Amino acid sequence: MIVSDKQKSYVYMNGKVVGTVQDPVSLVNEIRSARRKGMLSGEVNVSFNEKLNSVNINTDRGRIRKPYVILENGQPKLTKDLIEKLKSKEINFNYLLRNGIVEYLDAEEEENALVALSEKDITERHTHLEVDISSIFGFTINTSPYPEHNSLARHAMLANFTKQAQGLYATNFNQRFDSRAYVLFYPQRPIVTTAAYDTVKMPRHPSGQNFVVALSTYYGYNMADAIVINRAAVDRGLGRSMFYKTYADEERRYPGGQRDRFKVPPPTADGYMGEHVYSKLSEDGIIEPEMEVSEGDALIGKVAPPRFLEENLGAGGLEEKMRDDTAVLKTGERGVVDSVVFTESTGATKIVKVRIRSLRIPENGDKFASRHGQKGVVALIVPPEDMPFTADGIVPDLLLNPHSIPTRLTFGHLLETLGGKAGAINGELVDGTAFSEAGSDRIENYGKTLESHGFERYGNEVLYDGMTGMPFKSTIFNGVVYYNRLYHMVSNKIQVRSRGKVQILTHQPTEGKARQGALRFGEMERDALIGYGASLLLKERLLDQSDKAVVLVCKECGSLGYYDHIKKTMVCPLTKTTDFVEVEISYAFKVLLDEIRSLHIMTSIKLNE
Amino acid sequence: MAENKNEYSVEYGDPVGMIAAQSVGEPGTQMILRSFHLAGIESTISTSGLPRIIELVDAKKKPSTPITYIYLDGKIGKDFDKATETLKKINEVRMSSIAKRILENFSKGKIKVVLDKQELESEGITIKQVAAKIDKALNLESKVEDNGVVVNMHTRNLKEIRAATINIMKMLVSGVDGAGKATIRRDDKTGEFYLVSAGSNIEGIMQVEGVDKERTTTNDVFAIYRLFGIEAARNALAFELKKTLKEQKISVDERHLNLIADAMTASGSIKGVGRHGLSGEKHSVFARAAYEETLKHLIHAAAFGEVDPMRGVTENILVGKQIPIGTGSVKLAIKKEDMAKIKPASHK
Repeated sequence: MIVSDKQKSYVYMNGKVVGTVQDPVSLVNEIRSARRKGMLSGEVNVSFNEKLNSVNINTDRGRIRKPYVILENGQPKLTKDLIEKLKSKEINFNYLLRNGIVEYLDAEEEENALVALSEKDITERHTHLEVDISSIFGFTINTSPYPEHNSLARHAMLANFTKQAQGLYATNFNQRFDSRAYVLFYPQRPIVTTAAYDTVKMPRHPSGQNFVVALSTYYGYNMADAIVINRAAVDRGLGRSMFYKTYADEERRYPGGQRDRFKVPPPTADGYMGEHVYSKLSEDGIIEPEMEVSEGDALIGKVAPPRFLEENLGAGGLEEKMRDDTAVLKTGERGVVDSVVFTESTGATKIVKVRIRSLRIPENGDKFASRHGQKGVVALIVPPEDMPFTADGIVPDLLLNPHSIPTRLTFGHLLETLGGKAGAINGELVDGTAFSEAGSDRIENYGKTLESHGFERYGNEVLYDGMTGMPFKSTIFNGVVYYNRLYHMVSNKIQVRSRGKVQILTHQPTEGKARQGALRFGEMERDALIGYGASLLLKERLLDQSDKAVVLVCKECGSLGYYDHIKKTMVCPLTKTTDFVEVEISYAFKVLLDEIRSLHIMTSIKLNE
Repeated sequence: MAENKNEYSVEYGDPVGMIAAQSVGEPGTQMILRSFHLAGIESTISTSGLPRIIELVDAKKKPSTPITYIYLDGKIGKDFDKATETLKKINEVRMSSIAKRILENFSKGKIKVVLDKQELESEGITIKQVAAKIDKALNLESKVEDNGVVVNMHTRNLKEIRAATINIMKMLVSGVDGAGKATIRRDDKTGEFYLVSAGSNIEGIMQVEGVDKERTTTNDVFAIYRLFGIEAARNALAFELKKTLKEQKISVDERHLNLIADAMTASGSIKGVGRHGLSGEKHSVFARAAYEETLKHLIHAAAFGEVDPMRGVTENILVGKQIPIGTGSVKLAIKKEDMAKIKPASHK
């Protein structure tokens, strides 16, 4: 224990000792009452730490604080009267803060407070009342429906998926030139909403749609987080979105008075890609709006001065030597030119931005997620006639595998299914705020609504097999769930290669989608083949299909020789012999030998036979 | 297993090392994820799981938690009191653990060791014994006072007195040096008493009367190597590996672990698998350079004109040759060219 003198407590102001005090409790109480009366700023927090026997006063920034209703004699100071006045907008929240009805506590002062969760929990010992029970959760959790029925791990996943959801990210997306943007076609606000969701005005820029979901398997097509969706729904715009991508370029200036120029490159330009590439450019070298483009098409024609200064004085200097620096649509991309912008930077250089738009209809491999951390990948798009349907003729938009629920402990998903169904039938929004109702009450309430419209009270219905027309033996739980379409879409990721580019240094295949790369046969894959004893298969992968090179090895000295195409002879750098052997080695090994020799270490290859 | 042992036997060219590595490595990845602890005292005092495996495989000279299992001779093992007597002979007690305080009087040149009577009682040591020990160690005469021992240094040299104090604190009062703190246990199955000590001086422990020299063992592989030789060390290493994996509920065929133990001890001494052990002693320059300390090996090879025999896996993959493992380990008995020389057998 730091403080030995039990009589006096240290007083810390923003972490620094400012003095000692005989009666710490009354000091703290005095500061608190002064704050509540408005004599001190509401941003001052004070607390007494009994263990360290210290009073901590904090006025600095960076403290996380939370509002609480103050209790007086076991009664909340926020009376029914005041609530009515708040409702009628006679007073506002600031009034409550100014008049010591509600106050903000920081983490340290919270240690001195005993907070009641609801009015009926209040005892004599309580000092504060939670504004609402749901405020024990943070913002992220409170924007999800029925959070008290889901596990924390799923909430963490939901937080990630929410960031990846496509939707109406900005209402002026048409005017914006974001490098990448995803806009959902018919965004809907969720039927099951929460207080926090409405408070932050999320319904104004929604990022999903209400899907009719049936918890059913479908010939194994929705095993292991796969989902099956209805083609009829997709054709009517379910999950449909637009992908925008902006290509930008500028006319850069270089030392020496040279600069780039936007124009259709002349065939004489260095690196000219062929006439067909530039065919869609207009006279000024820039592509026109509403032009359909596909991979390899030029978007912004540009010529740049050569990279290295050469002595171009001798050539007469009439025709300036230029290098082609045209922006070309990347591999695997296609779309329509949505908009072209011509502008100038602060440095007075011309800037061109070209926005490409392309339609993204849900297809196999696209990712969807509900608001319960339940993600899935489309595995099958079923024609409507093969989908199961209810007696009313309702065909689900999405078939979710029932096995997804129990192990993940996302019972909120089931509640939302039921709540969404009740809300959809009634034409009302449903409140899914945390703790706003007991779970059993919710089920009963939704059940009553469903029953009043002639549905089964727990959301189960007889479904008919679309292929045979026969009813399934079991009733199937179905309802309406809000689903997000996430921006991981196959059409942006798909890549194929059989043969292709290799790296200059190692002669091995390139890596990565942008470079038309191959998939790496890595160390662990290598280990697997060694472990299997498949020596020739391993050699094929690592040599024949990779960086095979045939080199000449001098029989006399063992160094690498080369073929002189002018003298038409084989040359050894050390000896004068022409006695060589052709040897197959990996090019990487050749590079290694070169590098070792560059360290002034002589290498020599001894050959058998 | 005996009836269909041919099914499980390896064939010529099987990459047993790679398979052993994968068989141990794959469950090893799970060990990082969960720190699994068995209920019981052993696992709480000894390192287990991945850290222990690393310790064994790296051939650490001293385990981080050495433990010796001391079994007692027939009759002593059955009798709790006799077993406790043996325990007191072994249990390592230092002055620092029985001394309450140690007071230095520099002006009079005296050191007073105030002893903790409870500790003394529980260890079964008298104050006189302590005094005798001090006398013997420092070659001085000490007096027994009511609650401690006073040593007259006959000097007022500060340095000498302080040095003596430190010596006294470190002094071994009773037990075997390096035996560690010993506790008594009872085998639930046989009802026999045995001792567990947190040290690995088995050489010293085995000299104590009543200790069963045949069954007493330790988890310190190097201690076993020093006392019993390399074969015993190999068995100890394999046993420790198996025990550690078993504790973690990981089932790996014991022959993989035997192979690792064999490889580590094949040279006659215990070698780790890393840079300073097996990997650092590969014959191939390329294989060594590909692992760690690339430049060191290349320069050494250059300075000594090393020739790579090209018999291993890594170096053959590097140059792009077929590896001499599995299907690559067999060659034609007769060369293609020589085939023509063989006359077809006549069937007359």
